[in-house]
Amino acid sequence: MAETGFDTLWLMILFGILASVPALILAKIVAPRRRFVNPVKFLPMECGQVPLGEGKARFMMQYYAYVIMFVVFDVMTIFLYVWGTSLLALPQVVTIPIIVFLAILGAAMGYAMYLSGKKDIW
Amino acid sequence: MTIEEFSFANFIKSVLWLAFWILTVVSLIGIPILFILLFYVEPPEIAGMKITPYLLLTMITNPQVGAPLIRATLESDFFKVAVFPGFGFASIFATLLIFTERKLLAKMQIRVGPHYAGKEALWWIRQFGGFPQLIADLLKLIGKEIIIPASADKIIFLAAPVTMVVASAGLVSLIPVGENWVVADIDVGLLVIFALLGFFPLTALLGSWASNSKYPFIGGLRALHQLVSYEIPLFLSILGVVILAGTLNLTGVVNAQSDIWFLFLLPIGAFIFFITALAELERIPFDIPEAESEIVAGWLTEYSGMAYGLIQLANYVKLYALAAIFVTLFMGGWSGPTIFDSIYIFDSLVFSGEELSSFLWFSIKTFGVAVLMILPRGINPRIRMDILLRTGWAKLIAISFINIFIAVALIYTGVV
Repeated sequence: MAETGFDTLWLMILFGILASVPALILAKIVAPRRRFVNPVKFLPMECGQVPLGEGKARFMMQYYAYVIMFVVFDVMTIFLYVWGTSLLALPQVVTIPIIVFLAILGAAMGYAMYLSGKKDIW
Repeated sequence: MTIEEFSFANFIKSVLWLAFWILTVVSLIGIPILFILLFYVEPPEIAGMKITPYLLLTMITNPQVGAPLIRATLESDFFKVAVFPGFGFASIFATLLIFTERKLLAKMQIRVGPHYAGKEALWWIRQFGGFPQLIADLLKLIGKEIIIPASADKIIFLAAPVTMVVASAGLVSLIPVGENWVVADIDVGLLVIFALLGFFPLTALLGSWASNSKYPFIGGLRALHQLVSYEIPLFLSILGVVILAGTLNLTGVVNAQSDIWFLFLLPIGAFIFFITALAELERIPFDIPEAESEIVAGWLTEYSGMAYGLIQLANYVKLYALAAIFVTLFMGGWSGPTIFDSIYIFDSLVFSGEELSSFLWFSIKTFGVAVLMILPRGINPRIRMDILLRTGWAKLIAISFINIFIAVALIYTGVV
Protein backbone atom coordinates (compact mmCIF):
# COMPACT_ATOMS: atom_id res chain seq x y z
CA MET A 1 0.00 0.00 0.00
CA ALA A 2 2.75 2.40 0.95
CA GLU A 3 4.96 1.89 -2.10
CA THR A 4 2.19 1.92 -4.70
CA GLY A 5 0.83 5.25 -3.49
CA PHE A 6 3.79 7.28 -4.66
CA ASP A 7 3.48 5.93 -8.23
CA THR A 8 0.01 7.41 -8.60
CA LEU A 9 1.18 10.65 -6.94
CA TRP A 10 3.86 11.01 -9.63
CA LEU A 11 1.23 10.13 -12.28
CA MET A 12 -0.97 12.89 -10.90
CA ILE A 13 1.90 15.39 -10.99
CA LEU A 14 2.63 14.35 -14.60
CA PHE A 15 -1.03 14.83 -15.40
CA GLY A 16 -0.89 18.31 -13.86
CA ILE A 17 1.94 19.20 -16.26
CA LEU A 18 0.04 17.64 -19.19
CA ALA A 19 -3.05 19.66 -18.30
CA SER A 20 -1.38 23.05 -17.86
CA VAL A 21 1.42 23.26 -20.45
CA PRO A 22 -0.89 22.67 -23.48
CA ALA A 23 -3.16 25.45 -22.16
CA LEU A 24 -0.24 27.89 -22.32
CA ILE A 25 0.76 26.64 -25.79
CA LEU A 26 -2.84 26.89 -27.01
CA ALA A 27 -3.03 30.45 -25.71
CA LYS A 28 0.24 31.21 -27.52
CA ILE A 29 -1.23 29.87 -30.80
CA VAL A 30 -4.71 31.37 -30.51
CA ALA A 31 -3.91 34.73 -28.97
CA PRO A 32 -3.28 37.75 -31.21
CA ARG A 33 0.29 38.99 -31.45
CA ARG A 34 1.30 42.20 -33.12
CA ARG A 35 4.82 42.48 -34.48
CA PHE A 36 5.34 46.20 -34.12
CA VAL A 37 4.11 47.50 -30.82
CA ASN A 38 5.08 50.26 -28.50
CA PRO A 39 7.97 48.99 -26.30
CA VAL A 40 6.25 50.62 -23.33
CA LYS A 41 3.85 47.66 -23.42
CA PHE A 42 6.60 45.35 -22.16
CA LEU A 43 7.84 47.60 -19.39
CA PRO A 44 7.12 46.57 -15.78
CA MET A 45 3.79 47.78 -14.42
CA GLU A 46 4.19 50.89 -12.30
CA CYS A 47 0.73 52.41 -12.57
CA GLY A 48 1.49 54.42 -15.72
CA GLN A 49 4.80 55.91 -14.59
CA VAL A 50 7.95 55.15 -16.56
CA PRO A 51 9.76 52.65 -14.28
CA LEU A 52 12.74 54.00 -12.39
CA GLY A 53 15.77 51.90 -11.45
CA GLU A 54 16.11 48.16 -11.05
CA GLY A 55 13.04 45.94 -11.08
CA LYS A 56 14.60 43.61 -8.53
CA ALA A 57 15.04 46.34 -5.96
CA ARG A 58 16.56 45.63 -2.55
CA PHE A 59 14.58 46.67 0.44
CA MET A 60 14.21 45.80 4.11
CA MET A 61 11.10 43.85 5.11
CA GLN A 62 11.61 44.59 8.86
CA TYR A 63 10.55 41.09 10.01
CA TYR A 64 13.96 39.43 9.93
CA ALA A 65 13.64 38.07 13.48
CA TYR A 66 10.57 36.01 12.61
CA VAL A 67 12.33 34.46 9.60
CA ILE A 68 15.24 33.34 11.79
CA MET A 69 12.81 31.88 14.34
CA PHE A 70 10.94 30.12 11.52
CA VAL A 71 14.06 28.31 10.34
CA VAL A 72 14.53 26.84 13.82
CA PHE A 73 10.97 26.08 14.93
CA ASP A 74 9.59 24.80 11.61
CA VAL A 75 12.00 21.88 11.75
CA MET A 76 11.05 21.32 15.40
CA THR A 77 7.36 21.00 14.48
CA ILE A 78 8.02 18.29 11.93
CA PHE A 79 10.10 16.37 14.47
CA LEU A 80 7.18 16.55 16.90
CA TYR A 81 5.24 14.39 14.41
CA VAL A 82 7.62 11.51 15.14
CA TRP A 83 6.54 11.75 18.78
CA GLY A 84 2.87 12.24 17.84
CA THR A 85 2.58 9.14 15.67
CA SER A 86 4.33 6.86 18.18
CA LEU A 87 2.58 8.22 21.30
CA LEU A 88 0.29 5.17 21.60
CA ALA A 89 3.26 2.79 21.52
CA LEU A 90 5.26 4.67 24.19
CA PRO A 91 4.82 4.29 27.99
CA GLN A 92 3.12 7.25 29.68
CA VAL A 93 6.25 8.25 31.63
CA VAL A 94 7.97 9.27 28.41
CA THR A 95 5.58 12.17 27.99
CA ILE A 96 7.18 14.05 30.95
CA PRO A 97 10.60 14.58 29.27
CA ILE A 98 8.77 15.64 26.10
CA ILE A 99 6.86 18.27 28.09
CA VAL A 100 10.12 19.48 29.67
CA PHE A 101 11.65 19.67 26.17
CA LEU A 102 8.64 21.64 24.93
CA ALA A 103 8.93 23.96 27.95
CA ILE A 104 12.59 24.69 27.13
CA LEU A 105 11.68 25.38 23.49
CA GLY A 106 8.75 27.51 24.58
CA ALA A 107 10.98 29.59 26.85
CA ALA A 108 13.47 30.05 23.99
CA MET A 109 10.64 31.07 21.68
CA GLY A 110 9.32 33.53 24.24
CA TYR A 111 12.75 35.15 24.63
CA ALA A 112 13.11 35.36 20.84
CA MET A 113 9.66 36.96 20.62
CA TYR A 114 10.71 39.47 23.30
CA LEU A 115 13.87 40.32 21.32
CA SER A 116 11.94 40.59 18.04
CA GLY A 117 9.77 43.27 19.63
CA LYS A 118 12.79 45.49 20.40
CA LYS A 119 13.09 47.79 17.42
CA ASP A 120 16.51 49.31 18.09
CA ILE A 121 18.54 46.07 17.82
CA TRP A 122 17.29 45.20 14.32
CA MET B 1 1.70 23.40 -59.93
CA THR B 2 -0.79 26.08 -60.77
CA ILE B 3 -3.32 27.57 -58.44
CA GLU B 4 -6.70 26.34 -59.62
CA GLU B 5 -9.70 28.53 -59.65
CA PHE B 6 -11.78 28.05 -56.51
CA SER B 7 -15.02 26.19 -57.01
CA PHE B 8 -17.12 23.92 -54.83
CA ALA B 9 -16.31 20.92 -57.02
CA ASN B 10 -12.57 21.49 -56.55
CA PHE B 11 -13.07 21.80 -52.81
CA ILE B 12 -14.96 18.47 -52.67
CA LYS B 13 -12.29 16.89 -54.86
CA SER B 14 -9.46 18.01 -52.60
CA VAL B 15 -11.27 16.76 -49.48
CA LEU B 16 -11.91 13.35 -51.10
CA TRP B 17 -8.31 13.17 -52.31
CA LEU B 18 -7.07 13.87 -48.76
CA ALA B 19 -9.42 11.23 -47.32
CA PHE B 20 -8.20 8.69 -49.88
CA TRP B 21 -4.56 9.26 -48.95
CA ILE B 22 -5.25 9.12 -45.21
CA LEU B 23 -7.15 5.85 -45.63
CA THR B 24 -4.37 4.37 -47.74
CA VAL B 25 -1.59 5.34 -45.36
CA VAL B 26 -3.50 4.16 -42.27
CA SER B 27 -4.45 0.79 -43.75
CA LEU B 28 -1.02 0.07 -45.26
CA ILE B 29 1.19 1.35 -42.42
CA GLY B 30 -0.89 2.14 -39.31
CA ILE B 31 -2.86 -1.09 -38.97
CA PRO B 32 0.15 -3.44 -39.41
CA ILE B 33 2.10 -1.44 -36.78
CA LEU B 34 -0.89 -1.67 -34.41
CA PHE B 35 -1.05 -5.44 -34.90
CA ILE B 36 2.68 -5.87 -34.32
CA LEU B 37 2.41 -3.81 -31.12
CA LEU B 38 -0.62 -5.78 -29.89
CA PHE B 39 1.36 -8.99 -30.40
CA TYR B 40 3.84 -7.88 -27.73
CA VAL B 41 1.37 -6.29 -25.26
CA GLU B 42 0.24 -8.54 -22.41
CA PRO B 43 -3.61 -8.55 -22.40
CA PRO B 44 -5.11 -7.36 -19.08
CA GLU B 45 -7.43 -9.68 -17.19
CA ILE B 46 -10.92 -8.44 -16.19
CA ALA B 47 -13.48 -10.63 -14.40
CA GLY B 48 -11.57 -13.80 -15.27
CA MET B 49 -11.40 -12.99 -18.98
CA LYS B 50 -8.25 -12.12 -20.89
CA ILE B 51 -9.03 -8.99 -22.88
CA THR B 52 -7.76 -9.67 -26.40
CA PRO B 53 -8.53 -7.08 -29.12
CA TYR B 54 -11.27 -9.29 -30.59
CA LEU B 55 -12.95 -9.75 -27.20
CA LEU B 56 -12.65 -5.97 -26.62
CA LEU B 57 -14.51 -5.27 -29.87
CA THR B 58 -17.21 -7.77 -28.85
CA MET B 59 -17.48 -6.11 -25.44
CA ILE B 60 -17.92 -2.66 -26.93
CA THR B 61 -20.69 -3.77 -29.28
CA ASN B 62 -22.45 -6.15 -26.88
CA PRO B 63 -23.21 -4.52 -23.48
CA GLN B 64 -24.19 -7.81 -21.86
CA VAL B 65 -20.66 -9.16 -22.31
CA GLY B 66 -18.95 -5.82 -21.82
CA ALA B 67 -20.55 -4.73 -18.56
CA PRO B 68 -17.57 -5.71 -16.31
CA LEU B 69 -15.47 -3.37 -18.43
CA ILE B 70 -17.16 -0.32 -16.83
CA ARG B 71 -16.06 -1.15 -13.28
CA ALA B 72 -12.58 -2.07 -14.48
CA THR B 73 -12.30 1.31 -16.20
CA LEU B 74 -13.50 3.13 -13.07
CA GLU B 75 -10.84 1.39 -10.98
CA SER B 76 -7.98 1.91 -13.41
CA ASP B 77 -5.17 4.27 -12.39
CA PHE B 78 -5.64 6.57 -15.36
CA PHE B 79 -9.34 7.11 -14.68
CA LYS B 80 -8.60 7.83 -11.02
CA VAL B 81 -5.85 10.32 -11.86
CA ALA B 82 -7.59 12.07 -14.74
CA VAL B 83 -11.28 11.93 -13.92
CA PHE B 84 -12.92 10.89 -10.73
CA PRO B 85 -11.14 11.47 -7.46
CA GLY B 86 -8.40 13.26 -9.36
CA PHE B 87 -8.02 16.23 -11.63
CA GLY B 88 -11.34 16.31 -13.49
CA PHE B 89 -13.46 16.10 -10.34
CA ALA B 90 -11.35 18.74 -8.60
CA SER B 91 -11.57 21.09 -11.60
CA ILE B 92 -15.35 20.76 -11.81
CA PHE B 93 -15.65 21.29 -8.05
CA ALA B 94 -13.37 24.35 -8.36
CA THR B 95 -15.54 25.73 -11.19
CA LEU B 96 -18.62 25.27 -9.04
CA LEU B 97 -16.83 27.10 -6.20
CA ILE B 98 -15.93 30.03 -8.48
CA PHE B 99 -19.57 30.34 -9.51
CA THR B 100 -20.74 30.03 -5.90
CA GLU B 101 -18.28 32.70 -4.81
CA ARG B 102 -19.37 35.15 -7.50
CA LYS B 103 -23.06 34.64 -6.86
CA LEU B 104 -22.74 34.59 -3.06
CA LEU B 105 -20.59 37.72 -2.85
CA ALA B 106 -22.99 39.47 -5.24
CA LYS B 107 -25.89 38.58 -2.98
CA MET B 108 -23.95 39.82 0.08
CA GLN B 109 -23.22 43.14 -1.62
CA ILE B 110 -26.79 43.47 -2.96
CA ARG B 111 -25.75 42.91 -6.57
CA VAL B 112 -26.94 40.28 -9.03
CA GLY B 113 -23.63 38.76 -10.13
CA PRO B 114 -23.23 36.81 -13.37
CA HIS B 115 -26.73 36.74 -14.79
CA TYR B 116 -27.07 37.26 -18.53
CA ALA B 117 -24.89 34.51 -20.01
CA GLY B 118 -27.11 31.54 -20.81
CA LYS B 119 -30.17 33.18 -19.31
CA GLU B 120 -32.37 32.12 -22.23
CA ALA B 121 -30.92 28.63 -22.59
CA LEU B 122 -31.10 27.80 -18.86
CA TRP B 123 -34.41 29.49 -18.09
CA TRP B 124 -35.66 26.51 -16.08
CA ILE B 125 -32.99 26.99 -13.42
CA ARG B 126 -33.11 30.71 -12.81
CA GLN B 127 -30.58 30.74 -9.98
CA PHE B 128 -27.93 29.30 -12.30
CA GLY B 129 -28.56 32.02 -14.84
CA GLY B 130 -24.95 33.10 -15.30
CA PHE B 131 -23.26 29.72 -15.18
CA PRO B 132 -22.06 29.80 -18.84
CA GLN B 133 -20.23 33.02 -17.91
CA LEU B 134 -17.41 30.78 -16.60
CA ILE B 135 -17.04 29.14 -20.04
CA ALA B 136 -16.99 32.61 -21.61
CA ASP B 137 -14.28 33.67 -19.15
CA LEU B 138 -12.20 30.60 -20.01
CA LEU B 139 -12.47 31.29 -23.74
CA LYS B 140 -11.58 34.93 -23.12
CA LEU B 141 -8.46 33.92 -21.15
CA ILE B 142 -7.34 31.53 -23.90
CA GLY B 143 -7.78 34.26 -26.48
CA LYS B 144 -5.68 36.83 -24.61
CA GLU B 145 -2.02 37.52 -25.21
CA ILE B 146 0.43 36.43 -22.52
CA ILE B 147 2.53 39.55 -22.03
CA ILE B 148 5.97 38.75 -20.67
CA PRO B 149 7.69 41.88 -19.37
CA ALA B 150 11.00 42.86 -20.91
CA SER B 151 14.06 41.52 -19.05
CA ALA B 152 11.92 39.02 -17.17
CA ASP B 153 13.25 35.50 -16.56
CA LYS B 154 11.04 33.81 -19.17
CA ILE B 155 11.36 30.18 -18.10
CA ILE B 156 10.72 30.74 -14.39
CA PHE B 157 8.01 33.27 -15.19
CA LEU B 158 6.06 30.70 -17.23
CA ALA B 159 6.97 27.79 -14.94
CA ALA B 160 5.28 29.41 -11.94
CA PRO B 161 1.65 28.80 -13.16
CA VAL B 162 2.54 25.22 -14.14
CA THR B 163 4.09 24.61 -10.71
CA MET B 164 0.97 25.97 -9.01
CA VAL B 165 -1.28 23.59 -11.00
CA VAL B 166 1.05 20.66 -10.35
CA ALA B 167 1.23 21.27 -6.60
CA SER B 168 -2.55 21.62 -6.31
CA ALA B 169 -3.01 18.42 -8.37
CA GLY B 170 -0.68 16.66 -5.96
CA LEU B 171 -2.79 17.90 -3.03
CA VAL B 172 -5.96 16.58 -4.70
CA SER B 173 -4.43 13.16 -5.26
CA LEU B 174 -4.07 12.56 -1.51
CA ILE B 175 -7.71 13.20 -0.57
CA PRO B 176 -9.92 10.16 0.00
CA VAL B 177 -13.46 10.72 -1.34
CA GLY B 178 -14.66 7.26 -0.32
CA GLU B 179 -13.37 3.99 1.05
CA ASN B 180 -10.54 2.89 -1.31
CA TRP B 181 -11.38 5.88 -3.53
CA VAL B 182 -8.16 7.84 -3.32
CA VAL B 183 -5.57 8.42 -6.03
CA ALA B 184 -2.46 8.03 -3.88
CA ASP B 185 -2.86 6.10 -0.63
CA ILE B 186 0.42 6.99 1.10
CA ASP B 187 1.38 6.06 4.67
CA VAL B 188 2.93 9.49 5.31
CA GLY B 189 0.16 11.34 3.47
CA LEU B 190 0.05 14.30 5.85
CA LEU B 191 3.79 14.94 5.50
CA VAL B 192 3.37 14.94 1.70
CA ILE B 193 0.56 17.46 2.11
CA PHE B 194 2.85 19.73 4.19
CA ALA B 195 5.56 19.43 1.54
CA LEU B 196 3.13 20.35 -1.26
CA LEU B 197 1.62 23.25 0.71
CA GLY B 198 5.10 24.73 1.03
CA PHE B 199 5.32 24.98 -2.76
CA PHE B 200 2.73 27.74 -3.14
CA PRO B 201 4.43 30.71 -1.37
CA LEU B 202 7.80 29.70 -2.83
CA THR B 203 6.26 29.65 -6.31
CA ALA B 204 4.83 33.08 -5.59
CA LEU B 205 8.28 34.34 -4.57
CA LEU B 206 9.99 32.82 -7.65
CA GLY B 207 7.32 34.11 -10.02
CA SER B 208 7.55 37.59 -8.53
CA TRP B 209 11.35 37.60 -8.70
CA ALA B 210 11.26 36.40 -12.32
CA SER B 211 8.85 39.11 -13.46
CA ASN B 212 11.48 41.78 -12.66
CA SER B 213 9.06 44.39 -11.41
CA LYS B 214 8.64 46.16 -8.09
CA TYR B 215 5.00 45.52 -7.12
CA PRO B 216 5.22 41.74 -7.75
CA PHE B 217 8.42 41.58 -5.73
CA ILE B 218 6.81 43.25 -2.74
CA GLY B 219 3.93 40.76 -3.08
CA GLY B 220 6.29 37.80 -3.27
CA LEU B 221 8.16 38.87 -0.14
CA ARG B 222 4.81 39.32 1.61
CA ALA B 223 3.89 35.75 0.56
CA LEU B 224 7.12 34.54 2.14
CA HIS B 225 6.45 36.37 5.41
CA GLN B 226 2.90 35.06 5.43
CA LEU B 227 4.32 31.53 5.13
CA VAL B 228 6.56 32.28 8.12
CA SER B 229 3.57 33.34 10.19
CA TYR B 230 1.03 30.59 9.46
CA GLU B 231 2.97 27.43 8.73
CA ILE B 232 3.95 26.45 12.28
CA PRO B 233 0.40 26.84 13.72
CA LEU B 234 -0.89 24.84 10.71
CA PHE B 235 1.46 21.94 11.45
CA LEU B 236 0.82 22.06 15.20
CA SER B 237 -2.98 22.12 14.81
CA ILE B 238 -2.88 18.85 12.83
CA LEU B 239 -0.54 17.23 15.39
CA GLY B 240 -3.52 16.80 17.77
CA VAL B 241 -5.40 14.83 15.09
CA VAL B 242 -2.32 12.68 14.46
CA ILE B 243 -1.99 11.94 18.18
CA LEU B 244 -5.64 10.81 18.40
CA ALA B 245 -5.60 8.83 15.14
CA GLY B 246 -2.10 7.37 15.58
CA THR B 247 -1.43 7.51 11.85
CA LEU B 248 -0.37 9.95 9.12
CA ASN B 249 -2.47 8.19 6.46
CA LEU B 250 -5.62 10.19 5.59
CA THR B 251 -7.76 7.06 5.12
CA GLY B 252 -6.57 5.94 8.58
CA VAL B 253 -7.56 9.33 10.03
CA VAL B 254 -11.08 8.98 8.58
CA ASN B 255 -11.40 5.44 9.93
CA ALA B 256 -10.34 6.66 13.39
CA GLN B 257 -13.35 9.03 13.40
CA SER B 258 -15.96 6.27 13.08
CA ASP B 259 -17.24 6.98 16.62
CA ILE B 260 -17.00 10.76 16.92
CA TRP B 261 -15.70 13.55 14.70
CA PHE B 262 -12.42 15.14 15.83
CA LEU B 263 -14.17 18.50 15.43
CA PHE B 264 -15.95 17.83 18.74
CA LEU B 265 -12.84 16.50 20.51
CA LEU B 266 -10.42 19.15 19.28
CA PRO B 267 -12.43 22.30 18.52
CA ILE B 268 -9.36 24.51 19.11
CA GLY B 269 -7.34 22.56 16.58
CA ALA B 270 -10.13 22.80 14.01
CA PHE B 271 -10.35 26.57 14.60
CA ILE B 272 -6.60 27.08 14.13
CA PHE B 273 -6.58 24.88 11.03
CA PHE B 274 -9.44 26.88 9.54
CA ILE B 275 -7.67 30.21 10.19
CA THR B 276 -4.33 28.99 8.85
CA ALA B 277 -6.05 27.42 5.82
CA LEU B 278 -7.47 30.86 5.01
CA ALA B 279 -3.94 32.27 5.29
CA GLU B 280 -2.57 29.46 3.11
CA LEU B 281 -5.22 30.18 0.47
CA GLU B 282 -4.32 33.90 0.49
CA ARG B 283 -8.00 34.73 0.89
CA ILE B 284 -9.41 37.76 2.68
CA PRO B 285 -8.63 38.61 5.53
CA PHE B 286 -5.18 37.17 4.73
CA ASP B 287 -4.79 38.22 1.08
CA ILE B 288 -1.72 40.29 1.97
CA PRO B 289 0.42 39.01 -0.97
CA GLU B 290 -2.29 39.93 -3.49
CA ALA B 291 -3.61 43.03 -1.77
CA GLU B 292 -5.25 44.59 -4.81
CA SER B 293 -5.99 47.94 -3.20
CA GLU B 294 -2.39 48.40 -1.98
CA ILE B 295 0.07 46.86 -4.45
CA VAL B 296 -1.92 46.54 -7.74
CA ALA B 297 -2.34 42.73 -7.74
CA GLY B 298 0.61 41.70 -5.62
CA TRP B 299 2.74 38.99 -7.14
CA LEU B 300 0.17 38.44 -9.92
CA THR B 301 0.65 41.94 -11.36
CA GLU B 302 2.65 40.94 -14.45
CA TYR B 303 0.68 37.78 -15.21
CA SER B 304 -1.88 37.99 -17.98
CA GLY B 305 -3.99 35.74 -20.17
CA MET B 306 -3.83 32.00 -19.66
CA ALA B 307 -0.89 32.19 -17.23
CA TYR B 308 -3.13 34.17 -14.87
CA GLY B 309 -5.99 31.76 -15.61
CA LEU B 310 -3.89 28.75 -14.62
CA ILE B 311 -2.90 30.43 -11.34
CA GLN B 312 -6.56 31.14 -10.57
CA LEU B 313 -7.50 27.54 -11.45
CA ALA B 314 -4.77 26.29 -9.11
CA ASN B 315 -6.03 28.64 -6.37
CA TYR B 316 -9.58 27.32 -6.56
CA VAL B 317 -8.44 23.69 -6.80
CA LYS B 318 -6.41 24.47 -3.67
CA LEU B 319 -9.54 25.89 -2.03
CA TYR B 320 -11.33 22.60 -2.78
CA ALA B 321 -8.31 20.61 -1.55
CA LEU B 322 -7.99 22.48 1.76
CA ALA B 323 -11.74 22.28 2.43
CA ALA B 324 -11.52 18.54 1.70
CA ILE B 325 -8.52 18.18 4.02
CA PHE B 326 -10.46 19.99 6.77
CA VAL B 327 -13.37 17.58 6.21
CA THR B 328 -11.04 14.58 6.24
CA LEU B 329 -9.20 15.60 9.38
CA PHE B 330 -12.00 17.00 11.51
CA MET B 331 -15.42 16.10 10.08
CA GLY B 332 -15.21 12.37 9.41
CA GLY B 333 -14.37 12.54 5.72
CA TRP B 334 -16.69 10.45 3.58
CA SER B 335 -18.44 8.71 6.50
CA GLY B 336 -22.23 8.98 6.69
CA PRO B 337 -25.36 6.83 6.48
CA THR B 338 -25.93 4.79 3.32
CA ILE B 339 -28.93 6.14 1.45
CA PHE B 340 -28.46 4.86 -2.11
CA ASP B 341 -28.97 1.43 -3.67
CA SER B 342 -26.15 -0.18 -5.59
CA ILE B 343 -26.10 0.33 -9.35
CA TYR B 344 -25.83 -2.80 -11.47
CA ILE B 345 -25.66 -3.06 -15.26
CA PHE B 346 -26.39 -6.62 -16.47
CA ASP B 347 -25.59 -8.07 -13.02
CA SER B 348 -22.14 -6.51 -12.82
CA LEU B 349 -21.42 -3.91 -10.17
CA VAL B 350 -20.82 -0.31 -11.27
CA PHE B 351 -21.11 1.60 -7.97
CA SER B 352 -22.05 0.11 -4.61
CA GLY B 353 -24.53 2.00 -2.43
CA GLU B 354 -21.88 2.77 0.22
CA GLU B 355 -19.62 4.33 -2.38
CA LEU B 356 -22.34 6.52 -3.87
CA SER B 357 -23.50 7.81 -0.50
CA SER B 358 -19.90 8.38 0.66
CA PHE B 359 -19.29 10.54 -2.43
CA LEU B 360 -22.46 12.48 -1.62
CA TRP B 361 -21.56 13.06 2.06
CA PHE B 362 -17.99 14.04 1.17
CA SER B 363 -19.19 16.51 -1.48
CA ILE B 364 -21.80 18.08 0.81
CA LYS B 365 -19.36 18.53 3.71
CA THR B 366 -16.59 19.85 1.46
CA PHE B 367 -18.93 22.29 -0.24
CA GLY B 368 -20.14 23.55 3.15
CA VAL B 369 -16.60 24.11 4.45
CA ALA B 370 -15.57 25.79 1.20
CA VAL B 371 -18.53 28.18 1.43
CA LEU B 372 -17.45 28.98 5.02
CA MET B 373 -13.98 29.77 3.64
CA ILE B 374 -15.50 32.00 0.94
CA LEU B 375 -17.76 33.94 3.33
CA PRO B 376 -15.10 36.12 5.07
CA ARG B 377 -14.39 37.76 1.70
CA GLY B 378 -17.74 39.48 1.89
CA ILE B 379 -17.43 40.79 5.44
CA ASN B 380 -13.80 41.21 6.51
CA PRO B 381 -11.17 43.87 5.84
CA ARG B 382 -7.53 42.93 5.20
CA ILE B 383 -5.28 42.27 8.18
CA ARG B 384 -1.91 44.06 8.50
CA MET B 385 1.36 42.16 7.93
CA ASP B 386 2.92 42.77 11.36
CA ILE B 387 -0.38 41.96 13.09
CA LEU B 388 -0.55 38.66 11.19
CA LEU B 389 3.02 37.79 12.22
CA ARG B 390 2.39 38.76 15.85
CA THR B 391 -0.92 36.81 15.93
CA GLY B 392 0.59 33.75 14.28
CA TRP B 393 3.58 33.56 16.61
CA ALA B 394 2.19 34.76 19.91
CA LYS B 395 -1.42 33.56 19.92
CA LEU B 396 -1.95 30.74 17.40
CA ILE B 397 1.17 28.78 18.41
CA ALA B 398 0.29 29.12 22.10
CA ILE B 399 -3.26 27.84 21.71
CA SER B 400 -2.15 25.08 19.35
CA PHE B 401 0.11 23.80 22.14
CA ILE B 402 -2.94 23.81 24.42
CA ASN B 403 -4.69 21.78 21.69
CA ILE B 404 -1.87 19.20 21.71
CA PHE B 405 -2.06 18.85 25.49
CA ILE B 406 -5.85 18.35 25.23
CA ALA B 407 -5.22 15.55 22.72
CA VAL B 408 -2.63 13.89 25.01
CA ALA B 409 -5.00 14.22 27.98
CA LEU B 410 -7.82 12.63 25.95
CA ILE B 411 -5.57 9.67 25.15
CA TYR B 412 -4.32 9.21 28.74
CA THR B 413 -7.70 9.55 30.42
CA GLY B 414 -9.05 6.91 28.08
CA VAL B 415 -11.73 9.03 26.40
CA VAL B 416 -10.58 7.98 22.93
